[in-house]
Amino acid sequence: MSNVHERLRRLLFLVPYVSKHPGVTVEALARALNISREDLLEELDLLTCVGRPPFNPDDYIDIYVDNDRVYVDLDQRLFAPPRLTAGEAAALAASAELLRPASGDALQSALQKLEHVLPPQVRERYREMYRKIDASTEAPQALGPLTRAILERREVMFGYASPGRAAEPRRVRPYELLSHRGQWYLQGFCHTRQDARLFRLDRMEDLTVTETPFLPPPDARADVPNPARSSSEASVRVRFSPVAAPYVKERFGQDARPLADGGVEVLVAGDSERWLTQWVLSFGGEAEVMEPVSARAAVARAARASIGL
Amino acid sequence: MDRTERILDLVALLLDAREPISWAELREHFPADYGGSDDAAERKFERDKAELVELGFPLTYVQGDDERRDGYIVDRDAYYLPEADLTKEELAVLYAAGSAALASGVFPGRDDLAHALRKIGFFAGESLPTPRVRMELGATQAGQEKEVSARLEQLWDACASRKWVEMSYASPKHPGTTQRKVDPYGLALRRGVWTLVGYCHLRGGLRTFHVHRVRELKANTARPRTPDFQVPEDFSLDNHVAYFPWQHRFHEPVEVVLRLSGALASRASGLFPGAVLEPVAEGGITLARLRVSFLDGLARFCLSLGADCVVEGPESARSRLREMAARVANRHADALEDKVSA
Repeated sequence: MSNVHERLRRLLFLVPYVSKHPGVTVEALARALNISREDLLEELDLLTCVGRPPFNPDDYIDIYVDNDRVYVDLDQRLFAPPRLTAGEAAALAASAELLRPASGDALQSALQKLEHVLPPQVRERYREMYRKIDASTEAPQALGPLTRAILERREVMFGYASPGRAAEPRRVRPYELLSHRGQWYLQGFCHTRQDARLFRLDRMEDLTVTETPFLPPPDARADVPNPARSSSEASVRVRFSPVAAPYVKERFGQDARPLADGGVEVLVAGDSERWLTQWVLSFGGEAEVMEPVSARAAVARAARASIGL
Repeated sequence: MDRTERILDLVALLLDAREPISWAELREHFPADYGGSDDAAERKFERDKAELVELGFPLTYVQGDDERRDGYIVDRDAYYLPEADLTKEELAVLYAAGSAALASGVFPGRDDLAHALRKIGFFAGESLPTPRVRMELGATQAGQEKEVSARLEQLWDACASRKWVEMSYASPKHPGTTQRKVDPYGLALRRGVWTLVGYCHLRGGLRTFHVHRVRELKANTARPRTPDFQVPEDFSLDNHVAYFPWQHRFHEPVEVVLRLSGALASRASGLFPGAVLEPVAEGGITLARLRVSFLDGLARFCLSLGADCVVEGPESARSRLREMAARVANRHADALEDKVSA
């Protein structure tokens, strides 16, 4: 899209926004439009030149900054933003698909209302464009209650099967949901363990949202532990065949060392034997742990176990 | 006059007009812009008009009669965004998903999405819920997000305007890159990876391309407002993108039965979505029947789940898993012997 188009969309929103929020600060307005303060002041400058013929003094948009606050005295009928374009509505609807199981009826009704406020002549184009993005990932059912619990700040209970153990009950303050490489995680404070924890949604069972309220900490962000990324503690050397090499190179980039036979070698963290074994096995024989020997043995044991040896 | 300024002036003029405005009048109002030869002025106005339509400005030309003159008129009611009367919950869903998609940095139609969120928030005032949903999408390597994001934006534009693209594509199956000309039909997100589905002129058929494997990308810029191709009526993205490791577009599916025990038994529905599940009477075991079009993918996935996942049948699937496991075991066998002998 051209810059002119982007700019016009912004300006046609800016004037009504100020009209609705007289005295909005320059900072807040810049944030609402996701542009810098300097760019915003430039846009305001341009707007003072906008008007309609015959361009008498009262025919111009009268928008100004006073004491770092923005006001509009004459909006020249720009008191509401334009309706959503087909592209805007389609992008919004497609993004909502990301949480489809989470949203249930609310998503369906929201999309219906959205379509209703589209100008009739763009509805068909909207439907056509909506079909062009498919983000209906395999988001698990648990996203629904968990999103609600996070928004309503209520504790949740579920059974959690940690690696190698049967499910046990947990009581958790849910802070944040996060999706990483197609896998969903809940980050929160676990009462059972008295510590911050990251839970995989696919290991939860019997989820219930309790009536117990809580106050979330201001900034609760977790990173998914990714052994493939934490190269500082990388201690396990894994070698890949030429068949698997291109896929490994895609993920590791420069960290994948090329070998003479066309394969590659990488170093990964060895603190989770379970992760390492699973990962190596998922290459179905195209990966080999070179060292340490304890990790080689773990992979061998796991492979033998899966054929009943 | 600056083009942005001129188009905004046109908006102000047309929103205020009570009568249709003729082309002759427009030329009088903007002598410096629509001056010059008739042809040049008309072409310039045509471009401005196209931009107005693109912005959602409901502009029409009316033929005059005894009562009314010829000219351009705008349907004001169709211009202004009305209140959509979204409930708090509906707004929360759209906001949570939309802002998570934006924050991921990797979503097609980012600009469109940002504007859409602003607009639906216009009437909501300060009461917008703050979602806590984060998604990492589309990039396989850290630091790749920016590139993938830019490609998605280009592809979104090309999909929307139905223009072909030329790209160099790095498939892990072949060394180097291939040059492809593709009619982009749509974009799908599966397991955190964005896939382009389209008609590949090189292969003469529908193909899928992972967006992070697209190296260079150029859309056809000739005749930007004329589509280059039609998407077939019966086309559906979903039919062309594999969801799970055990799916493949080109292979015939077979039914595979898996026996899940231990901690896997209760996780069966999450691990194998779409499978028909059947708890075994003695308890603690679930049988999962699954349609599989890619046995190697299934075998690798089952192998990574460990000994609690066993393939019951058919024999072809059993033997594929056994072969793979044996291969892994053999490659690492010396470690076990070392351990035993130590």
